[in-house]
Amino acid sequence: MTFMQNTRRFALAAVVLAAIIGAPQTLADGITDIGFVDQQALGAVPAFQNAQKQLALFDRDLQKQLQGRAKSARSQADQQALQREYQTKMLARRNALFGPLFGKAQTAIASIASSKNLSVVVDRRIVIVGGQDITRNVLDLMTGVGDPVPPVSTPAPSAVGFVDQSLINQLPSVVAAEKQLDQYTRDQQKIAQDKLKTAKTDADKQTIARDYQKSLDAKQNDLVKPLVDKTRDVIADVAKKKNLVLVIDRSNLVYGGTDITTDVTQQLK
Amino acid sequence: MVVGLAIGLAAGLPGCTRSATSAVSPSATASVNPSFARVGYVRMEDLIKKHPLYGQLAHYDETIEALSLRTALGSNGPALPAAELAKEDRALQAALDEARARTTKLLNEKQKEYGKRENDAIAAALRTAGIPMGPGTNAIAGSVNAVAQQQRAQAVSSAQSDFNAYRATLIKQDDAAMQAAQKAATARADRSYRAKADELQAKEQQLAFELATKDSSDRLSLRTRLSNLALEDGAREEARAKLAAIDRAEADQLAAARNRDQQTLANLRASLKAKIASDVALDAKRVHAESVAKLKSRGASIQAQFSGAAAPVVAQALPNGTVSVPAGVSPALKARLEDLHKAYQVQFTADAKRTIADFKKTNDDLTKRFNTIHGVDQNAERDARAHIAELQKQRDDLYRQMVAQIGREVRVVAQNRGVTTVINDTVAPANGVDLTADAQKDIESLHE
Repeated sequence: MTFMQNTRRFALAAVVLAAIIGAPQTLADGITDIGFVDQQALGAVPAFQNAQKQLALFDRDLQKQLQGRAKSARSQADQQALQREYQTKMLARRNALFGPLFGKAQTAIASIASSKNLSVVVDRRIVIVGGQDITRNVLDLMTGVGDPVPPVSTPAPSAVGFVDQSLINQLPSVVAAEKQLDQYTRDQQKIAQDKLKTAKTDADKQTIARDYQKSLDAKQNDLVKPLVDKTRDVIADVAKKKNLVLVIDRSNLVYGGTDITTDVTQQLK
Repeated sequence: MVVGLAIGLAAGLPGCTRSATSAVSPSATASVNPSFARVGYVRMEDLIKKHPLYGQLAHYDETIEALSLRTALGSNGPALPAAELAKEDRALQAALDEARARTTKLLNEKQKEYGKRENDAIAAALRTAGIPMGPGTNAIAGSVNAVAQQQRAQAVSSAQSDFNAYRATLIKQDDAAMQAAQKAATARADRSYRAKADELQAKEQQLAFELATKDSSDRLSLRTRLSNLALEDGAREEARAKLAAIDRAEADQLAAARNRDQQTLANLRASLKAKIASDVALDAKRVHAESVAKLKSRGASIQAQFSGAAAPVVAQALPNGTVSVPAGVSPALKARLEDLHKAYQVQFTADAKRTIADFKKTNDDLTKRFNTIHGVDQNAERDARAHIAELQKQRDDLYRQMVAQIGREVRVVAQNRGVTTVINDTVAPANGVDLTADAQKDIESLHE
């Protein structure tokens, strides 16, 4: 598991925690309550590094063990079963190693956010100006003696909204467009490969490659752009109705915020 | 595709700019909530496109895309087109099948030949011992000898034919291997050259950017003075001259850097050309030496196989491989006949092993040759992927620099507008302040 995957899970888990603690009831007038954390710095905590090393060792041993069995797995079904076994075992090990660490980090972030009256905490990468950096406080809690204590209060209502684009991408219209584009890409790739076989010069090959890319870009524009435009308009509409100042993607959210995904998907259906 | 949608939302497509503008006009934000004016956002992808180094970034993106595309489509992959490779594979398989059939036939013929020799030796031994043989034995022996010679000639001809086919295939594979090696060497040199050219271009752009940044305050000050209508002619002329001097100094420094880079590239091109020639010559020498050694070894093996096989043969070996010994022979003669039988069995087994080993060698050599060709292709693809990764790293470094520069400009804009918090990755316009347009103006001034 890469570090980015860790941090993404970390963000996701924080959102789940926020949802458990309770959704905001009303939106506050004051909006200086935006905090941020450097998730990369949190990932550098020794406990995370140790877990990462242990997972790498487990991965190496598991691969060695399965490679021996893969030699005798002749059918495609046998190989797929091995692949599934590998993924299941890795996931279980990952959860066992990182689950408690994510939990501790989530509690630490919630605790600091509550003590500083922050309604939302985002990833540092998206903040250009302002916001309260709570990375140091969270690190202190995570590396200190004893476990951080969960906050008593729920997050304050936030004027920063978020959407889960992975859920929007599961809408039938998006899935259908994706399938169409995949099929089109495969067809065009085959055509381009056939042309390349008869191409005599590098210039010919470059022309074929350029034409191939152009055709994909055009098709993507036809299929995806209308969906992107419509989705953006709906998000903007919902944001205005809910008096939100910003709407970010869930992957950039660490804590709090106002989830408008359901409102958006319902309008898009 | 899914990623495309997500990126599209984050990047700010032109179709959505209208609603963004309407959402963030000062009156709109003020009417909704006064405190909204303290939180703003920028569309980073729009700002990136206005940055002085965007041309370089776009160049990286285009190069990476082109390389990825060529790798994906296979133009940088197999040295031979897929159909030709498949054809070569089929030809190899056919040649091996034929060689296998000939080997089987040759082994059958050898078995008959050694059986005949053995019976002839036994007959001679019996004659010497004065034991009578059947009528017409001599006549039969003469006829069988003639047939055996004919069979031997056929076996030699068959072996020669195998050898010729082997040589032709070897030459063909050598040609393909050399073409692949030449192509791989050229592609490697091409990538090295492109990487250096990209690096130098990036440095030139960086220099241009740094010069422009260094002089931007002087330039702005001079332009401000020039925009003053009440400025006296003398002072105006002086300001113009200073502005021209700044432009000239920057242009001179850039031209000097470009000249140095051109010379560097010319030297690199010459050294890469020499290296290609040297690499290809080495490959050619190695491939040629290997092929000659293989042909010599194969030829020697065939010669050894047939050089001592001119002895006459007589009759077919008995099906059960035992010796047909007439009744009443002495124990000494019987032992002599059994020794003869064993000797011919050993000779036949050794000869058969050589034939089988030759066939196996042919099989191994041709398979290895094909593997070598495919291996060259895999190396070329691996090189291409490494080059893409290196370009991607350079591109990401440049992007980070640009974002940092834009961040500094946005900070100034936010301060001027009284905005305390700015986010750079929103998915849609909302009630916050859109600082993109103001930031764009500042970034564009970096070009001047």
